[in-house]
Amino acid sequence: MITNVLTAIGGVGVYGVISICLFFVVFSGALIWALSQKKSFLTAMGDLPLSDEGVITETKGEQNHE
Amino acid sequence: MNPPDATKTTSARPRPTGVIESFAYDNRIVRAFAIATVIWAIVGMSAGLLAAIQLFFPEANLNLQFVTFGRLRPLHTNAVIFAFIGNGMFMGVYYSLQRLCKARMFSDALSWINFWGWNAIIVAAAITLPLGITTSKEYAELEWPIDIAIALIWVAFTINLLGTIVKRREKHIYVAIWFYIATALTVAVLHIVNSLEVPATMWKSYSIYAGVQDALVQWWYGHNAVAFFLTTPFLGLMYYFLPKAADRPVFSYRLSIIHFWALIFVYIWAGPHHLLFTALPDWAQSLGMVFSLMLIAPSWGGMLNGLLTLRGAWDKVRQDPMLKFMVVAVTAYGMATLEGPMLAIKSVNSLSHYTDWTIAHVHTGALGWNGFITFSMLYYLIPRLYQTKLWSVKLANYHFWIALLGMMFYVVPMYASGITQGLMWKQFTADGFLQYPNFLETVLQIVPMHRLRAVGGSLYIFGTLLMAFNLWKTAGIGVFLPDQAAQAASWRTQQEHHEDKGPWGHRALEGKPMLLAVLALVAVLIGGIIEIVPMFLIKENVPTIASVKPYTALEVLGRDIYIREGCLGCHSQMVRPFRSETERYGEYSKAGEFVYDHPFLWGSKRTGPDLHRVGGKYPDAWHYNHMDDPRSVSPGSIMPRYPWLLTQTLETNSLPARIGALRKVGVPYPAGYENTALAELQTQAAKVVTNLKVGSVTTTPDKDIVALIAYLQRLGIDIKANPAATPATPTKTAQAGGQPIATN
Repeated sequence: MITNVLTAIGGVGVYGVISICLFFVVFSGALIWALSQKKSFLTAMGDLPLSDEGVITETKGEQNHE
Repeated sequence: MNPPDATKTTSARPRPTGVIESFAYDNRIVRAFAIATVIWAIVGMSAGLLAAIQLFFPEANLNLQFVTFGRLRPLHTNAVIFAFIGNGMFMGVYYSLQRLCKARMFSDALSWINFWGWNAIIVAAAITLPLGITTSKEYAELEWPIDIAIALIWVAFTINLLGTIVKRREKHIYVAIWFYIATALTVAVLHIVNSLEVPATMWKSYSIYAGVQDALVQWWYGHNAVAFFLTTPFLGLMYYFLPKAADRPVFSYRLSIIHFWALIFVYIWAGPHHLLFTALPDWAQSLGMVFSLMLIAPSWGGMLNGLLTLRGAWDKVRQDPMLKFMVVAVTAYGMATLEGPMLAIKSVNSLSHYTDWTIAHVHTGALGWNGFITFSMLYYLIPRLYQTKLWSVKLANYHFWIALLGMMFYVVPMYASGITQGLMWKQFTADGFLQYPNFLETVLQIVPMHRLRAVGGSLYIFGTLLMAFNLWKTAGIGVFLPDQAAQAASWRTQQEHHEDKGPWGHRALEGKPMLLAVLALVAVLIGGIIEIVPMFLIKENVPTIASVKPYTALEVLGRDIYIREGCLGCHSQMVRPFRSETERYGEYSKAGEFVYDHPFLWGSKRTGPDLHRVGGKYPDAWHYNHMDDPRSVSPGSIMPRYPWLLTQTLETNSLPARIGALRKVGVPYPAGYENTALAELQTQAAKVVTNLKVGSVTTTPDKDIVALIAYLQRLGIDIKANPAATPATPTKTAQAGGQPIATN
């Protein structure tokens, strides 16, 4: 169905070049961005799961049967 | 075990300075998904074990069509992927997201719609797949009404996810949440694009794509279902639960950022590695291979980041079964993501594809990565939800070793089996003939491996049962905490606790979830668009062959029976351009031969031989007897019997609707063909019955078997009707959509 609707486009060869360029841009962007972050920020971000998550409930904590 | 979260009162981070708000984390939804995870684990694995047993003891189907291998396999894969691992993913996401956002889920109603809707879909799958209601597209077998339900429930999950992120009290969006966002958006795109189909009846539809295009879209989906359903959400969960269990931050947050962007960008391109040496155009195959190799870098970056998080904490691994499971999970991820790119290398793939090697590979991922990380989360969460400690650490350790042993007993025999059979298929004698021309010879050689695989699977299930018992007892000794009270200040009123004023500051992106979501979606879509769009736009990618005609009415129904019985679970319809395959099966498959195949039925595994050139190879009576009892014509065959096909009446009421739907998706049936199709069907069926009489078989033309035989006899013969369409020399085959023949 779709093949009947769409017709040929030109310059498909450029797709490969575009894909490599896009990958280079995305990867470089992520690399530069990551490297440009300050240590304090990265430390704070890495600590996020270790925070108390705001929990205020004190619980009993039963003993293991072993 | 580490002490439960609930007993913690201190934090390494500064206390909030803004207006304190009180709220509660929703543990009920986490518990619900946890229970569903355990139940579906047992169901899904048991279905897999039954399927595995049938591969050396076909009678294990008890002669019931509903649990015969072809229908059972998709039930197993769907139950494990979407039920067990899917519920496990939701469990982990609902727990970690609330805590990382310091907020209750956006909407409790959406949470429960997500839970009940998702599990209702799974029940629907468990009913429809054994009934033979299937689209045949791997991991997307469910028919169109269920497809719509999946889309709606996924939208509910996505709204709930993004809503929670928007109303968060923690300004910074931890990397785990990035992975969740990418998962939600990409799975939605994959599911919708791959499920575009035109309904013929309530439970039957035809893919809008045909042949090569359908194959490319399907494996773009199939591969990225692995990427964005089985990998990215679990990497997010790894980045949350591993630091929690180890009680130390992730080894390198910087690496996690690069890991995220590189992984989601590269993964989407790799789908065509499932179609190497097929009729897919070469440029798409090469693109898939190259990007698959590039995937090693981000995958191993993530794996090393996970393992190095445990630096200085390996003593905890010795004591904590949760961490043991996590370490093996991350290691299995590393193994699977190294092996995957290796299998995507064309020369390796020529040996591994269609063999048990692929089965070993996916089970390293499923049993090792997804299974172990889900077990790890369950051992972490249940004691915390019930405010107690694990009932038995010793039993959890037993589970660990039994599951590890089970996994080894599963994958090692499958490697041996796959490599053995792959080599046997390609083996030539000194005189240049196939060493093992009878496919069955190569099957009988690996049956002992199938037995060992069943032992491994049994061990793995036994371990899971131990876990279920342990968690049930844990719940019994604890008190469930449905709403965990918490307090936090809104980030909008908080002071920054670090300085970051640079032009590349995280505020530009990381603090803006919607912008992050859009960019992640763009990164993901680029690969799909660049690969798939040319396949539809450039006609040269799928050269037509004049002699290839649409299926007749009887063949359409026969093809639908082939789909219903799940034949493609064991039989490919794609002769690759190797001498070992053309000698065994005949002319290799051309893209132009599949232009009316909605959906494509190339298959991905050869437990039995390829069928693309089976048309005209055997008399009709041979097929009849073979379907009745394969061992009557092929002693030792492990194919199940299909006696019901000989007695069940062919359903023709829906024929006009099926013809109409096929015309809508592009099959050029002439106007009004619906009105004459039944008469034509009866004429062709009568011919089949006459042919059967020659072989001393008496039946009536209204039986399922007649339609199936008509379809099988049609397979691959169109190209023979016009020899001009088949180039005489291999080097010219590109004109017919093929490729040069390889040496073996």
